[in-house]
Amino acid sequence: MKRYPSALAAIATAAAVALAGCSSPATAPADPSGPVTLTVSAWNLESTPEFRALFDAFEAVHPNVTIQPVEILAEDYPEKVATMLAGGDTTDVLTMKNVTDYARYASRGQLLDLTDLVGELPTDKMAGLEPFDIGGKYAAVPYRQDFWLLYYNKKLFDAAGLPHPDQLTWAQYGELAKKLTSGTTADGQKVYGTYHHTWRSVVQAIAAAQTGGDQLGGDYGFMKSQYELALDLQRSGAALDYGTARTQQVNYRSMFETGQTAMLPMGTWYIASIKAAIASGKSSVDWGVAPMPQLAPGAGTTTFGSPTAFAVNEKAKNAEVAKEFVRFAAGEQGAKAIAAIGVVPAFRSDAVTAAFTALPSDELSKKAFTEDKKIVLEMPVSETTSDVDTILTEEHSLIMTGEKPVDDGLREAGDRVKNEVR
Amino acid sequence: MVISTEPAVPAMRTRRPPAPATRARRRTLRSILTGWSFILPNFLGFALLTLVPMVFGLALSFMDWSPWTDEPEWVGLENFERMFRNSTFWIALGNTVYYAVGHIPLTMAVALGLALLLNRSLAGLGFFRTAFFLPYVTSLVAVAVVWNMLFNPTSGPINQFLLALGVDDPPGWTSSTAWAMPAVIVASVWRDMGYYMVLFLAGLQTIPTELYEAAKVDGANAWQRFWNITLPGLRPTTFFVLIMCTVASFKIFDLIVVMTDGGPGRATIVLSQLIYLQGIQEGRFGFASAISLVLFVLVAGFTVLQFQLQRRREAR
Amino acid sequence: MTTTPATRGRKIAYALLLTVVCLLVLVPFVWMISSSLKHDNQVFTVPTQWVPREFVWSNYADIWTRIPMLSYLRNSAFLAITISLLQVLTGSFAAYGFAKLRFPGRDWLFLAYLATIAVPWQAYMIPQYLIMEKLGLVNTHLSIILLQAFGAFGVFLMRQYYQSIPDELIEAARIDGLNEYRIWARIMLPLSRPAIASLGLLTFVTTWNDYMGPFIYFTSNELWTVQLGLRSFVGQFDAAYAMIMTGSVISVLPVVLVFLLGQRQFIQGIATSGLKG
Repeated sequence: MKRYPSALAAIATAAAVALAGCSSPATAPADPSGPVTLTVSAWNLESTPEFRALFDAFEAVHPNVTIQPVEILAEDYPEKVATMLAGGDTTDVLTMKNVTDYARYASRGQLLDLTDLVGELPTDKMAGLEPFDIGGKYAAVPYRQDFWLLYYNKKLFDAAGLPHPDQLTWAQYGELAKKLTSGTTADGQKVYGTYHHTWRSVVQAIAAAQTGGDQLGGDYGFMKSQYELALDLQRSGAALDYGTARTQQVNYRSMFETGQTAMLPMGTWYIASIKAAIASGKSSVDWGVAPMPQLAPGAGTTTFGSPTAFAVNEKAKNAEVAKEFVRFAAGEQGAKAIAAIGVVPAFRSDAVTAAFTALPSDELSKKAFTEDKKIVLEMPVSETTSDVDTILTEEHSLIMTGEKPVDDGLREAGDRVKNEVR
Repeated sequence: MVISTEPAVPAMRTRRPPAPATRARRRTLRSILTGWSFILPNFLGFALLTLVPMVFGLALSFMDWSPWTDEPEWVGLENFERMFRNSTFWIALGNTVYYAVGHIPLTMAVALGLALLLNRSLAGLGFFRTAFFLPYVTSLVAVAVVWNMLFNPTSGPINQFLLALGVDDPPGWTSSTAWAMPAVIVASVWRDMGYYMVLFLAGLQTIPTELYEAAKVDGANAWQRFWNITLPGLRPTTFFVLIMCTVASFKIFDLIVVMTDGGPGRATIVLSQLIYLQGIQEGRFGFASAISLVLFVLVAGFTVLQFQLQRRREAR
Repeated sequence: MTTTPATRGRKIAYALLLTVVCLLVLVPFVWMISSSLKHDNQVFTVPTQWVPREFVWSNYADIWTRIPMLSYLRNSAFLAITISLLQVLTGSFAAYGFAKLRFPGRDWLFLAYLATIAVPWQAYMIPQYLIMEKLGLVNTHLSIILLQAFGAFGVFLMRQYYQSIPDELIEAARIDGLNEYRIWARIMLPLSRPAIASLGLLTFVTTWNDYMGPFIYFTSNELWTVQLGLRSFVGQFDAAYAMIMTGSVISVLPVVLVFLLGQRQFIQGIATSGLKG
């Protein structure tokens, strides 16, 4: 359950801070042991357990610090943070949900320069740092490095008498999905072979990663085969159609956790959520992960992913403590804390790997997780990223609802990117 | 008369007998002070939080500015040039007009219809009046959720009903580009009709019943009575409703955001939403302000036009 | 009086028509309430079940622990009541100035008020936000209170109503030696009860149902209103259809209650303000 600190407690804390300030004016602002309330922006706390894990771990090491999360609905997160920053909000630590938003805030000078902090860190052990490099400077440090996998429901595969989805090609994946579409769940809901969430990345980013296509380029022919697969699956009823998923705001978590889909291409962040759902008795899904399907067999695994990072607000009230939090989260201690609940940390070490116990114990899951693979950044960062992203999202919804043939949609997207984005 | 033709009238009506100059001046000073003392409490808040930001926004449409760049830079008409080149702007403009053209007549027709139904003195009509007004007081988030579920293409009650009627291929509603706007319009008519119904009801009650009696004696049928007595009698109300409805239609925002978020594609994106996206999300305040200016001119233009038409009709 | 079969037939037809129309209008509500009393997986069934097979009253008990509904309701009620009071007070005060006092510049000022009604909020939302930030009011309830309490619409509505009150009444009071403030308090306020009811109710409803304002200004979760809470709930628990409908029903109830209480005055007030003047 979410916790809502009462206003009284907040006032008491504020008063305590103020009193501490009065009693020792010379040292108060810099006193690292004085009581501090650190505010951190976060989303959907209940379904994103890593925040609580990190906060608890940090508070344990720094007993004088109380972390107050600023919870925002995940869908509204970029808009809300943009609004907050535009008005000079003083939330201390800002979570960078993706690199695109990071580039936006950083280029506006809304984030504190953390280049020195990054210099002190063991960067050789940290994955996902490059996208945050803007001209040799860093304004955020990743604590999480996610990549995409294929989740599957073991029970549904076994019931259909099909082998678990090891090293599939997309063609095999499509066939499997159709074979797995049958019957209903105990609740009477239809069981689909697979579920493609409404994000454009599900189609576009994987196509870009595996074909080497450029999402900013304006030439989107490389996405065609991936779209045809997705459309074929929803036309044949093997995947829930995009229109329904979007208008009903369908959640991929409930699709998978209630056994309404046999497969689900999704990012590694979901591991922790499934684990939490099972632990709390909300779900009893018997799950495993496999590598993402590939274009051709036997050529190794290529997938896409993106890091998640913490940044310090340029106007932070407690900049020093905030920096300490970023350092903590990006380092080994933070990594262990989130690895323990099944979130993939950016920091890599044997101790961290040992702490990562959330994965099912089967060989396929282990292989999918630890094998050597190529992880392409979900969306390249540049000045045009957000405009291109808007256009691609709009055209994606037109293609997926069947309003535009694939070729027309992709051509239109390309034309708009070439003509309107500057 | 209503709205902005109003202020000029009382000033002319109230010419006072001439008085000695000094006394008049003192009286003017006093009347200014008293007048302002009444208006000030509201005006302070209004000026600081509405008027000033509005004027600021107007100026911004000729500038390139974001709160994180230090100096606003005067760019003349550049924002407007960019706007006219932007395909999303034209689509949003078209959608806004589409929405208004669908929403205004439908809402007014339904509201008038309901008002006519209720314009009798019968016990129990209060219940119906409340029922028809309920949608207007219902929260938007709830409206959006309910209508999205009702419009669900596969399992929603609306399409099930259509299937039962023998429609083989019912529309995809909010997930189809062609039907998303009609779906939004239906939901918005449902939400707004109660409010305008109350206005029409009040208007109907100002029409003397003797007129109807006389018409009946003359042998006029119901349709003729409606056409020759009700409609002309309602003209001031209709005008007021038209203005209010127009202003509200062009400003449509919340319902679209929670129901379709402008999609699918750009099928339901409207101007005020584009202003929000460009201003808040992309941080292009100058550009967003330019779009707002266009929207304002559009609304103001329509309103003035309706006033002109009304005046001409009255003069006839 | 004798009733011929023809008029009786007409009466029945009328009652029937009224009932059918009413049912159509209420369909979404019926569906909302019926869904709120179901299990999640029974909300979408083919064919639609208008009466739940099994009444799940526990939804109405569980929602209070599932989300901090009580705190949302309290915040919404606090905002809606405060803002309505302030709006009525400052609005009627200013409206008296506009309707019954004469001074140079009055008409221009009123025109400025009117013009702002036609400007969409999105157009000045950002400058407004910056001002709020400078005042240090972002993320406080006060921001929304200040934002909503001085609206032009309230002044407009009250002024329209005041115009319908004859000037002679006020002249008489002036001759009796009452100053303008007393006239406002002793004569205008009591006379404008219907208008106050309309304005108060409309403001209450608007504030209660406002989504964007609180979304932009309230960051701390303990400030959230029902609308924000509901939307967040929909976003996080998409499949909890029944519970979402339960939340929707609860979010609508207080407004319906307020409307039922003030309905008579409200309709009278809205009618007068809209038509005369």
